[in-house]
Amino acid sequence: MTTLEWARLSNDAFNVALLSYLAAMVGYFAYLAFRRESIWKVARAVAFVGLGANLVSIVARGFAAHRVPWGNMYEYSSLLAFLVVAGYLVIVEGVYKQRALGGFALMFSVLTMAVAVSFLYVGPGPLVPALDSYWIKIHVQAAIWGSSLFALGGIVTILYLVQDRRERRRIDGLRAEEPAPIMGGAIDMDAPHDLVGDASDESASAEPGERRGMLPAAATLDRIAYRIIAFAFPIWTFAVIAGAIWAQEAWGRYWGWDPKETWSFITWTIFAGYLHARATSGWRGRKAAVIALVGFVALLITYYAVNLWIVGLHSYAK
Amino acid sequence: MSSSSPSRYSLRQSVAMVWRTLRSMRTALILLLMLAAASVAGSVIPQLPNSPERVALYLDTHPLLGDFYRRAGLFDVFGSWWFTLVTVLLFVSLVACLIPRTRAAWRSLRARPIQAREIDAFRHYAKREVALPPDEAIEVARRTIRRRRFRVARDPDRPALAAEKGALRETGSLLFHWAFILILVGVVYGKGTGFSGFALVVEGDTWIDARANYDGQIRTGRFFDGEFTGVGLHLNEFESAFRETGQPMDFVSRVDLLAPDGTPIRSQDIRVNHPAKVDGITIYQSSFGWAPVLRVTDGDQVLFDDAVPFSREEAPDGVPQLAMPWRGVVKLPTLRPQMAIDLELWPDSRAFFEQLRTGEPVAMLVAFEPVMRYTVYEGRLTDPSPVSLDVRFMEKTASGIVGAGTESDLATGELLEDGAAAQGPVLAFTDLKQYSVFQVAKDRGVPIVLVAAILILVGLLPALYSSRRKVWVRAEPIDGGSRLLVGGFALQRKAQFEEEFDRLVEALARAAGGVGSEDAEREKVGTR
Repeated sequence: MTTLEWARLSNDAFNVALLSYLAAMVGYFAYLAFRRESIWKVARAVAFVGLGANLVSIVARGFAAHRVPWGNMYEYSSLLAFLVVAGYLVIVEGVYKQRALGGFALMFSVLTMAVAVSFLYVGPGPLVPALDSYWIKIHVQAAIWGSSLFALGGIVTILYLVQDRRERRRIDGLRAEEPAPIMGGAIDMDAPHDLVGDASDESASAEPGERRGMLPAAATLDRIAYRIIAFAFPIWTFAVIAGAIWAQEAWGRYWGWDPKETWSFITWTIFAGYLHARATSGWRGRKAAVIALVGFVALLITYYAVNLWIVGLHSYAK
Repeated sequence: MSSSSPSRYSLRQSVAMVWRTLRSMRTALILLLMLAAASVAGSVIPQLPNSPERVALYLDTHPLLGDFYRRAGLFDVFGSWWFTLVTVLLFVSLVACLIPRTRAAWRSLRARPIQAREIDAFRHYAKREVALPPDEAIEVARRTIRRRRFRVARDPDRPALAAEKGALRETGSLLFHWAFILILVGVVYGKGTGFSGFALVVEGDTWIDARANYDGQIRTGRFFDGEFTGVGLHLNEFESAFRETGQPMDFVSRVDLLAPDGTPIRSQDIRVNHPAKVDGITIYQSSFGWAPVLRVTDGDQVLFDDAVPFSREEAPDGVPQLAMPWRGVVKLPTLRPQMAIDLELWPDSRAFFEQLRTGEPVAMLVAFEPVMRYTVYEGRLTDPSPVSLDVRFMEKTASGIVGAGTESDLATGELLEDGAAAQGPVLAFTDLKQYSVFQVAKDRGVPIVLVAAILILVGLLPALYSSRRKVWVRAEPIDGGSRLLVGGFALQRKAQFEEEFDRLVEALARAAGGVGSEDAEREKVGTR
């Protein structure tokens, strides 16, 4: 195949992937609303189709450009979207058996790809000299893996905060409605009765928090988010270190407070703060989750804002 | 509080209080997040060390806010006293946390696991009947558990043992945190004893590593011994290549490296990502530009004959950087009145004429029949800098154009045809060369920082993923053997431990000649 054909294949596969992710996202949200196993199966299958197309797009891009396919923001976004969906399917559905979060993970990938194709597209071509090093294989790969896992952790954290709030409200509601305990009567807070459920509500007997929208319990979401972030943190640490080694080779210093370095440090610091907060009494739970959320925002700034709007040595967008 | 020396007592008290505050993880966390917040400012506000020209622009466009930023040190966040203060406090807090933790970890590493009084009180608990008598059963259990890399201690008084595993978690965490101290050491040592500077070399010239040759573009560490290598660098050629879109493809400086006595060491191509290392210093490709060779003559007298490195202003929005002309200045202080020539170089004259015609900027990817526009000023030279020009005490006397290989009369601005007599000094544009700017750095702290970075990763993995587990076993005599009581718990990864504990109990029972699990009276106490 010629370079042009590979490029065309890559672009077509990219569109197929984007549309599949979009359809799968709708499917997962429909599963969330209607709780039909068959809807989940279809949505999952469509997500896998998207994943395959995404992979084809990435590989074809590599052949079209005759180099690793992560040399600019368009390519990076494509790989990021791929890894977030793959990470969701493998970690959240595979390891933790949670099917309800698919729509949110897919939404992240859909947005990432839509932004990439609308604003960041460049044709396949050689790398700028600053990027032409074997370190691009190491540093950028680690950065993408770290980013995608942090992103996944961030998504689960948002859902945790939503679910936690909902559970608190329900408990508060129970407190208000249940008659005050008299003479040894007590409310079992671990398994509150479903006071607001009615016969038409399928999930009236479900655990707290699983009733509406059937998100997993807040404690489960918190644990999954922690595990994913704890998995991402060493990878991100490695990415920063590899970047420093590369900077030493390319720019004559391992650290120079370039905006990208600064923001990857900020992101690292915030997630380090999150990991410590979870081990500090009084910071566990919502407070730690808010730190993780700030880390997620810092990650997005590290990727988008630094590349596009802040002038620095990492401004490779165009 | 003692009334005789209240101030001394309260001082001691407050020092103790400060120390207690610094030792808490909360303080370290807050300092860490403060560092992150300061870094945000450092990335949003232009920084002097990274982009001085953008700082100057900011001061021009935002006089009030700019002045406030300047006073607050916000134009050099990472070099400001308060950033240093927060960093130092963070490291003091870190050390204050680490010393007691390290001591405790060392003690617990050497201590034998402690025997338990009541085994059935633990989170996980199981009972199994086995064929071996109690003492032998415990000896077998000891070997079984040891094989699983637990540290085991036998109870000297009765058939029982205590075991634990997972000290690596705390060890890894300590290693991770101490490695940051090592980073600090590496940074301070490397920056303190090293230097970093920029060397500008025109094609065909030889540059020698000596302080004067950095033209002030050098920052030396506080403890730098002042000894430069004397290594020479001869720039044979610089090449740059661009794609048609203006995207750079390659920059390469072809150089000969020379020993201090002038003998050649080797020839090398220095590129971005491919620095040259020689004699403890590292030479990086940094930037490049055009250096026209200019000669100014007044009659038979040669006033000036040299290559002049030109620089390029940052392009305004919407104009490609490659479309910007290059600027330079030639000063002639010996003339009376003194004279300065302000020059504007267009390496590709086609772009120059195209822009004159259409008003649209055109990118210059290669040099093609270069042309220069110039303005002559006469008066008093007040600015000694070779690159900038202050014309407050000068007046414009002429302007003109000179192409490569041509001469121009500075009195009239007219091009001189062959042999024509000039009315004033004559400017000749004899050649167009390129110059290359190298960053030269000496940093002996790099290996230390690298080792520290590796230790950070090595420590991080067990600190995050391993878990501390404790197990106790006791054997009670029964008819035809003994009853094994096994208890245990995990401090982290509790869900995984449940399975591990079950497998361990199976293995212990099997090793001590236990009966199959379906016949055994087996009781497992659930989560408490």
